[in-house]
Amino acid sequence: MSENIVQIENLVKRYGDLVALDHLNLKIAEGEIFGLLGPNGSGKTTAINCMLSLLKYDKGAIRIFGEDMRPDNYKVKQQIGIVLQNVAVFDELTVYENIDYFCGLYIPDKKKRKALVEEAITFAGLDDYRKMHPKKLSGGLLRRLNIACGIAHKPRLIIMDEPTVAVDPQSRNKILEGIKKLNEQGSTIIYTSHYMEEVEQICTRIAIMDHGHVIASGTREELKKMIKTGETITIEAIPLTEKNLEEIQTLPHVFDLHYEDQVLTVRCTGARHNLIQLLNYLQSQDITFGQVSSELPTLNDVFLEITGKQLRD
Amino acid sequence: MLHLIKYNLLVKLKNFGTTFWPLVFPILLGTMFYFAFGNINDADFATVSVAVVRQEKADTLFLMFLDQVENNADQLISTKELTYDEACSQLENEQISGIYVVGETPSLTVSASGIPQSILQSVLSSYETGKTTIRTIVRTHPSGLWAGIRQMLNRQELLTEVSLGGRTINGNAQFFYALIAMACLYGCFIGFGSAVSLQANITALAARRCVTPTHKLKLILSEQISAFLLGYFDVIVLLLYLRYILKLDFEGQIGRMLLISFLGSLIGVSMGIFVGSLGKMKEGIKIGIILGISMVCSFLSGLMNNTMKDLVEKNAPFLNRINPAALISDAFYCINVYDDMGRYYRNLITLALMSVLLVTASFLLIRRESYDSI
Repeated sequence: MSENIVQIENLVKRYGDLVALDHLNLKIAEGEIFGLLGPNGSGKTTAINCMLSLLKYDKGAIRIFGEDMRPDNYKVKQQIGIVLQNVAVFDELTVYENIDYFCGLYIPDKKKRKALVEEAITFAGLDDYRKMHPKKLSGGLLRRLNIACGIAHKPRLIIMDEPTVAVDPQSRNKILEGIKKLNEQGSTIIYTSHYMEEVEQICTRIAIMDHGHVIASGTREELKKMIKTGETITIEAIPLTEKNLEEIQTLPHVFDLHYEDQVLTVRCTGARHNLIQLLNYLQSQDITFGQVSSELPTLNDVFLEITGKQLRD
Repeated sequence: MLHLIKYNLLVKLKNFGTTFWPLVFPILLGTMFYFAFGNINDADFATVSVAVVRQEKADTLFLMFLDQVENNADQLISTKELTYDEACSQLENEQISGIYVVGETPSLTVSASGIPQSILQSVLSSYETGKTTIRTIVRTHPSGLWAGIRQMLNRQELLTEVSLGGRTINGNAQFFYALIAMACLYGCFIGFGSAVSLQANITALAARRCVTPTHKLKLILSEQISAFLLGYFDVIVLLLYLRYILKLDFEGQIGRMLLISFLGSLIGVSMGIFVGSLGKMKEGIKIGIILGISMVCSFLSGLMNNTMKDLVEKNAPFLNRINPAALISDAFYCINVYDDMGRYYRNLITLALMSVLLVTASFLLIRRESYDSI
């Protein structure tokens, strides 16, 4: 088993009466892409800011690379790359200058830095924009610049706080591919997001947060096994009576259904043949229907079952 | 450190707020002043008209003294003998600046305050001092009387107007000194930007810089140094512009002028850093504060009215001792007009102490690396 490079124990952070982090515990092993998933206000960014010693906390301990994380622990900071939620670059500097500036805060050697900056530019696909100023870049390119500034010095641990907010799908895919590549090159990644698809796509382990603490954690598969939902069936344009709904509810493995605007959503346990059973029932009742889809459980289902609310509520 | 200073300077030079207000605006204002008032020397000071009212037992020595002053090549004053009523009427109509009533003891009557009145007062004071000296000579060393009288009559040289270069005096010069003072204080916009860019609880960029392994002290120092360098550079550019483009008579004393600009820039930048360091106030409010402070200070130092500084000196002299713009413009006066080096250094020391105080306070406010909230 790999060494835990980040250990957070019983972290408590209060803003007056509001408890932003409520005895948060996390262990992140070297080599992981660790996803912190949770709705807005769940405490992800607060946790990251505490990890970086930007925020003071009320209780608990944070150890990174086996050392207590303090604001003046520059040895630890040297090995961390950070991509903040808000794009943090100088509007007055070009793409190249921005990356060089931030890289220079870690790497004093000019020659070494030049090579690293070039590598970061290529990595982020910013070759054609190196002389442009941030204000002239699209949202996606700006995010890529933000990432390039955070990773140019080749850190051992990269913390990315919602790096794809307000980014077009093409740029998002490019960013996600880049993150995987960074991980392959040896960096451990902490990735926070409220986009479950992203987290599912790239993270090797996930912690779901709500109200300042972790409500579930594990690999995708482990998380999905924690819940009852094995399959969610959706049927559109279907006219149903109360009696039909009662009968569907009694079909084997069905444990929850929702019918609104002629759209039926049925949640079943993990058993097979749920869809066939449901279609057979509809046929037997001569009920016509439109589009049918069947989905395996998502992290949203996990969140929904544990908290009773949608991830993006 | 050089890496930080290089990029800090680059960022500030390309930023509209830190380029326009401390550099472009004072140059524009200086150009406007130039076209409004003309060159300091072109608008040379006019001869002061004064009435002489001769009474019985008139002090003839004073009348001789006035004659000498009037006939001097500089034509500092122009006298005309009138009756007291005629003189009062002309004074009321501002045809003359004052009345010398010459009896046993000469006296001066004026109806306003300003440079002409100050000159008339100086002429009278100079005579009285000389007269006292002559009385002392008569009492103690009668043989040196003639030499003493000659000396007294030569006192007029002390009253000659002196220029920015040490020759003439002009009320309009006050505007240009106040303008340089304003340019120094506008360095606060540079300092303000620096302070804001260091506080992680205010901007994402500051947060981003605070999580790097660069020591906070190094970040603060590099910001302060670059802010000051740029502020000083801006003032030097303004001085060069006034001297070589507008050809104002700033010749001589350049080293001392640079020293004033140095400390002036320091106080301007320090003020900006201090206001920028004040808590989580909205940026707009802070900008309002620095703009307000710099404008009020400049106004009180005579940027908009050349008699303002004298007015403050008369009614609230303490303000002139702590107003950085007044201290800067006064220091310029000290080297170009009064030639009062004691006062010059007193002004500079006050500016230096104020800067040290502000920079220390700012450092204490922004040195922290962890925040209660972001």
